[in-house]
Amino acid sequence: MSIALSRRKAFRAMTGLGGGLAAVVLPETVQASPEEHPAHPVAPPQAVAMLYDSTICTGCKACMPACNAANGLAPDTHLSGGIWDMPTSLNAQTKNIIELYQDTQSDEFAFVKKQCMHCLDPACVTGCPFGALNKNILGAVTWNASLCIGCRYCEVACPFEVPQFQWESWNPKIVKCEFCYDQRLKENLEPACTAACPTGAVVFGKRADLLIQAKDRIAAAPDKYFEQRVYGEHEAGGTQVLYLSSVSFQKLGLPKLAPTSLGHYATKVTSVIYKWLSGPLLMAGVLGFFIRRNWERHESERIGHERKTGFPDQL
Amino acid sequence: MSTTKARARDKTGTVLINHWQCGVPVNQGEIFTPFMLFLLGLAGLGMGLAAVRFFSPLGPFSAMNDVYAWGVWKTFNVMTLTALGSGPLALGMAAWVFNRQKLHAVMRTALVSGFLFYATGLIALGLDVGRPWNFYSAAMPWRWNYESAMLEIAICMPLYCALFLTFEILPLILERTYYTGGEKTRAWLRRVAPVIRKAYPFVIIGAYVIPLMHQSSLGGLLLLAGTKIHPLWQSPAMPLLYLIAACLCGFAFTIFLLLIVCLRYARPLSSEILAELANLLSGICFAFLAVRLADLLWRRQFSAVFALDRMSWLFLGETTLIFVPAFILRFKRARETPRTLLNMSALACLGGMSYRFIPTTIAYRPAHSTGYFPSVPELAIGAGYVALGVAAFGLAIHYFAILPGEASSWDHSFRPFGWQNKAFGAPATGPAVPKAALQGGA
Repeated sequence: MSIALSRRKAFRAMTGLGGGLAAVVLPETVQASPEEHPAHPVAPPQAVAMLYDSTICTGCKACMPACNAANGLAPDTHLSGGIWDMPTSLNAQTKNIIELYQDTQSDEFAFVKKQCMHCLDPACVTGCPFGALNKNILGAVTWNASLCIGCRYCEVACPFEVPQFQWESWNPKIVKCEFCYDQRLKENLEPACTAACPTGAVVFGKRADLLIQAKDRIAAAPDKYFEQRVYGEHEAGGTQVLYLSSVSFQKLGLPKLAPTSLGHYATKVTSVIYKWLSGPLLMAGVLGFFIRRNWERHESERIGHERKTGFPDQL
Repeated sequence: MSTTKARARDKTGTVLINHWQCGVPVNQGEIFTPFMLFLLGLAGLGMGLAAVRFFSPLGPFSAMNDVYAWGVWKTFNVMTLTALGSGPLALGMAAWVFNRQKLHAVMRTALVSGFLFYATGLIALGLDVGRPWNFYSAAMPWRWNYESAMLEIAICMPLYCALFLTFEILPLILERTYYTGGEKTRAWLRRVAPVIRKAYPFVIIGAYVIPLMHQSSLGGLLLLAGTKIHPLWQSPAMPLLYLIAACLCGFAFTIFLLLIVCLRYARPLSSEILAELANLLSGICFAFLAVRLADLLWRRQFSAVFALDRMSWLFLGETTLIFVPAFILRFKRARETPRTLLNMSALACLGGMSYRFIPTTIAYRPAHSTGYFPSVPELAIGAGYVALGVAAFGLAIHYFAILPGEASSWDHSFRPFGWQNKAFGAPATGPAVPKAALQGGA
């Protein structure tokens, strides 16, 4: 064998290579730049929000046709025999729904409004490969038809199971509440659902203001509210739709979630490994070193082997 | 079985026989057997339905819904079967990086099967996405969302299959062209071959780095699903475990495939190479189990293992499927017994596949009480992709030098499918070409 390379030398070369690459790469990660996905994201001051108080909602569903009208959605008349809008959950033609929770044993009941939660660090936006889902400056999570490839990763990622896919369409779209961003928010109008609500069960405002308002309501009547807390303040890193309820949030179908953002959980390791492709490049360097070495060994053996047997070597 | 005979002779030290010297085409046996016709029929049916799906919405074809937005095409044909197709990664790393020279003889089996799993998986992906016409964004890096695991897969998987795997299987196609082609082709191939040899060690770096990336990203995909996946599977270690499971399945499936096909065509086996592969398989099974255990202990989820509910039984079943081959293949005798090897590699395949499949579907339990079971056309298309791959492999081994065998057993003048041998001057058997002719990849 022609290569006189001891293990020690190889090790030295590798540490040199690794150290060199690390020296190039590490300062980038060490710099105290604002983290892309902090565990507990902070809402920017201009972030808008909705506050839904289940104890006020009378279940009139005025918000549903308002939402359909603003978004140009046909009413879901599947269950009502073609007569009135009667969706059973968020679906491909329902971006907003009022659901009723009713206890089978007691007379406990509550309404709940479901739509996109507009998370502070949305998992769908983190997962979307070509940025079809985007969180804009006000915090509304919007969908762009010309970027979406229809992989449906957003549906897998969303902890609230909000995005809906048009399974029956030739040109399927992702249907989800977009905070009426294009329809109304841009023109300084509040979303159709909050504008339509006759009781004030759902109100629109800045997230910081609504959080204070919600906490004031809890302070005024602590016994009225479940766990004396606002759902959405911390869930999955915080959302821009806030809930108050007299019954357990899980009974309303709002999942129990850790306060850490999913984007942080999913990218905390990979964001370091893939920073400037340093991990793959480092791996390529290490593999390349060994492959080169073994390749030369293999070549010398191959030529000897071919000479001896007369059979050409195969790759 | 001639292995035992060969071993007995090897021990005396007089005749050193390694039955697997290089790739040799199969030149015996019926090609279009009833089984092959069945596979082709199934593939035809699947592809026909897939063609209809191309012009139809997803809804009528699949039972996928908004709760289980990913059906078997993604979760089985892609996430599970590309693990079986990771032979090129696992064997290639073992041979070229960890210098297990013996494995070069079986590399082509791994490469071709891997290529077919990836290629069929990519067709599955292409027909699964709802808006494929927007995929051109893949060529526009400024549109990429760099933090998305889905982007990594959408870019790397086609790149790996179309560029790196194709490059790796190019030599075996060119080689066949050399033997069948005329003088002009041969002269051209003699010029091309050294170029391929020059590029080879550099290209295979990419051929290992890229699958290391996307096989781990397949696990990384599921991280965002968060609490929807049962805590026995949902873990920050999932990318690593998906990668180890891919290598595990890569080794296990290559052993399984080699044994099945060599037994089918009554080829002598090489106990030496098989034992080496089995040894690596056992090691990687133990590595998988060690990471799995450490992960469960670190996340304090170990108690969930013995909760004895449905998920805990699934976990125990999956772990047993991996532990049994890991343990049995520690014994030298088991490694040298083809029957045990076949059974154990099948178990390891099943175990690795379970780990890759369960978190995407069975242990994937969102709050909404909707079920998912693939519809008949969905299953037919999924099975069609698999049948297409298997049939292509079955046909390819008759024409290309894929399966390992003795170099002297290669009859270069033989043409399968009743084709006429038009090449002139090809000798009937033995070393077909002057040794200088094939210095290269051809």
